[in-house]
Amino acid sequence: MLSIESVSKRFRSGNYGVQNVSLNVSGVIGLLGPNGAGKTTLMQMIATITKPTSGRILFDGVDVVAKPDALRRRLGYLPQDFGVYDNLTAFEFLSYFAALKGVGGKERVRELLESVNLHTVANRAVGGFSGGMKQRLGIAQALIGNPDLVIVDEPTAGLDPEERVRFRNLLAEVGSGKLVILSTHVVSDVEAVANEIAIMKGGSLLAMGTPEELLRRAEGSVWAGVMASTELDAMRARLTISSAVRKADGVHLRVVSGDQPFAGAMAAEPTLEDAYLCTMTGRAA
Amino acid sequence: MIRRIAAIVITDVRIRFRRPSTAVLFLLLSACAYLWIPAPSTGRTLLQINGQRALYNSGAIGMGTASLATIFVGLVGFYVISNALRRDVQTRCGFVLASTGMRSGEYLFGKFAGNLAFLITFIGGFMATSMIMQLVRGEAPVEPFVFIEQYAVLVVPGMVVVSALAILFESIPWLSGRFGDVVYFFVWVMSIGLVASMSEPKSSQPIGWIGILDISGTGYLFQSLRDVLHTNEVSIGASPFDASKGVFVFGGLPVSLRLLLPRIGTCLLAAPLLGIASLFFHRFDPARVRVTEKAKRNWIGRINALAKPFARVMFALTPSAGPASFARFVLLDAMLTISAMPIAFIAIVVFNVVSLVVPIRSLAEGVLPMMFAALAITIAEVACREVRAGTTALVRSAPQLRERFVAWKLAATLLIGGAYFAVAIVRVAIARPSMLVPLVVAIVFVSAAATMLGVVSANPKAFIVTFLLFWYIAMNDKGATPALDYAGLNGAATPFVVAAYAGMAIAFAASAAAFHAFTLRRA
Repeated sequence: MLSIESVSKRFRSGNYGVQNVSLNVSGVIGLLGPNGAGKTTLMQMIATITKPTSGRILFDGVDVVAKPDALRRRLGYLPQDFGVYDNLTAFEFLSYFAALKGVGGKERVRELLESVNLHTVANRAVGGFSGGMKQRLGIAQALIGNPDLVIVDEPTAGLDPEERVRFRNLLAEVGSGKLVILSTHVVSDVEAVANEIAIMKGGSLLAMGTPEELLRRAEGSVWAGVMASTELDAMRARLTISSAVRKADGVHLRVVSGDQPFAGAMAAEPTLEDAYLCTMTGRAA
Repeated sequence: MIRRIAAIVITDVRIRFRRPSTAVLFLLLSACAYLWIPAPSTGRTLLQINGQRALYNSGAIGMGTASLATIFVGLVGFYVISNALRRDVQTRCGFVLASTGMRSGEYLFGKFAGNLAFLITFIGGFMATSMIMQLVRGEAPVEPFVFIEQYAVLVVPGMVVVSALAILFESIPWLSGRFGDVVYFFVWVMSIGLVASMSEPKSSQPIGWIGILDISGTGYLFQSLRDVLHTNEVSIGASPFDASKGVFVFGGLPVSLRLLLPRIGTCLLAAPLLGIASLFFHRFDPARVRVTEKAKRNWIGRINALAKPFARVMFALTPSAGPASFARFVLLDAMLTISAMPIAFIAIVVFNVVSLVVPIRSLAEGVLPMMFAALAITIAEVACREVRAGTTALVRSAPQLRERFVAWKLAATLLIGGAYFAVAIVRVAIARPSMLVPLVVAIVFVSAAATMLGVVSANPKAFIVTFLLFWYIAMNDKGATPALDYAGLNGAATPFVVAAYAGMAIAFAASAAAFHAFTLRRA
């Protein structure tokens, strides 16, 4: 169990990266929020890379700010924009991190390469890998120590849709029985794997709950309707549009709004994307 | 712990040896050795005393190539290995390392050992090729242990200290960038100068404790040669000799406890250097890495910050609209260079004002050399900026720039050179017209060299190190060797020398263009 208690991070500039965040993590938690919300800073504090200015982070009851090694031995971390050493092969790269994490045996390295489907290119230089392959290698290094807590920061950024789905499935597979913290600003990345979602904005935690709870809070705030495409620009300026799909009869809109946004709009069942927008705009119940 | 350190060492060595530039460097060093130890039939030799040359045995060739290796380790080695920490910051692998149970001390020691292992392996390979060269010269049988002995006493302390210095420079925020590269160069040449002055031939005293600071081994080398050969008239490296005087046998530098103790002391310098490095090491804490980036702007950064508004005004004055002409691209690139390093703006203004007011002699002998050093530091990154910033594809998609990249970069560096030297050129043209052509040729030469080395190495260090070394030698030569009077500053440059520099400038530009064309074909 991971407990984050009133954690803040204030930079030397005086700005807060994270402000007074408290949450408990069990299972897979998705951290959602726009760029600059403080997700990465929060994850870096949990990963013991940077210290909070105030607050406590407890892992199985141990304060990891005071005793970071208690967590480091059981942690797998994939940072945002993870790079590789281009001249190493996948096998060498993973063996390097295995050695640093005190994990022995080539067998474990081979096993992990197989689990992320890179075993056929194990002896190829990683500099020639695609973005998706590098990310899979990244998740492999995060899992190599068989960690109890896995932190993955924006793992699907820059991936094509196919790689994104593959990565999501991989994460769902490896995440069973572990604590996983996954940050993203793409709602679809978390809805399939996370059993809890925390939404951050401006360094603060706006909401936290199961996907069902977030959906419930958004009920009555989502509207759907059709309008002429010529009116779309005016609507965009006035409303929070969740989606707009052009069809033969006009533009099909989903709108987050406290009351009926335009004539003909009907109350709709919220999706997680709508629930996220509701929270961000302060319209969730 | 040992396993972790070993993993860092092996990985760092692997990464470095798989870079094509390592092979290029090795071939260049081997070529230098070939020139350093010429065939006696050329009339030149490695080691001679009063015209008598030393037999090419393992003692002479081992000492000769080891002395070359020590220069290489000090001047080039540092720049080759000083990216061990930066690589982990840039790839963000450092974040992963920081989230493991590895101690910061283990990491820094591992990186130090990785640097040292690379240098030892590299220089070990060079020693092996030197043995082959001795076989080729065929004057005496190869004695590997004599080689090893010479390399151990001359080069190993330098490798140990340089490996630690690289870690120290990378750990201290304001020394981890280009400013640190320049600082290191001057620290290194000053340390050689200090030890050389302490071991003057007139001095009968041994170097003593100062020998600990003899990182390059220069003091040890000269003192040992004096001890063994009983003369100060020794020259090393491709010197002319008198074939009629026959040969003498040099068994190599002596290895006595009195001489060895300071060398061991030099090796031990690594410990305090690493200790200081650990005090500054950020352990990839993003808050501290960010601070590190800001801290690079210490005093030099503050001047940069002060000059920024002026540099921005200059950039703002550059026409942003209008046709995408080549001239406009050149102007933009020059302005971008100055905006990125606003201190260059102040330097340009100050040097132009000083050029206007100082006597012409002071201008030639004092100010112009400083201007060349400042120009070199300013333009070092121009030709490799896109590769380092990852904007190559962006630039290549602009009209004309893909094919005319080298011309663009050369023109931008020339424009910056013109800005630095504008007033000086006018003053020289009026007060000392004979210096005008050499000066202009020198500006073109420096610009072409910066462009060529930037394009080929994709790193500003290659040019900074090469040029500053050349600049330092030329400065200290004070016109004694006409070939080193690259800008005619000492009035020693002959028309042939000026033509040679012009020819080299053309060759540099052509080489850069050929290399660029080659990379385009491969892309």
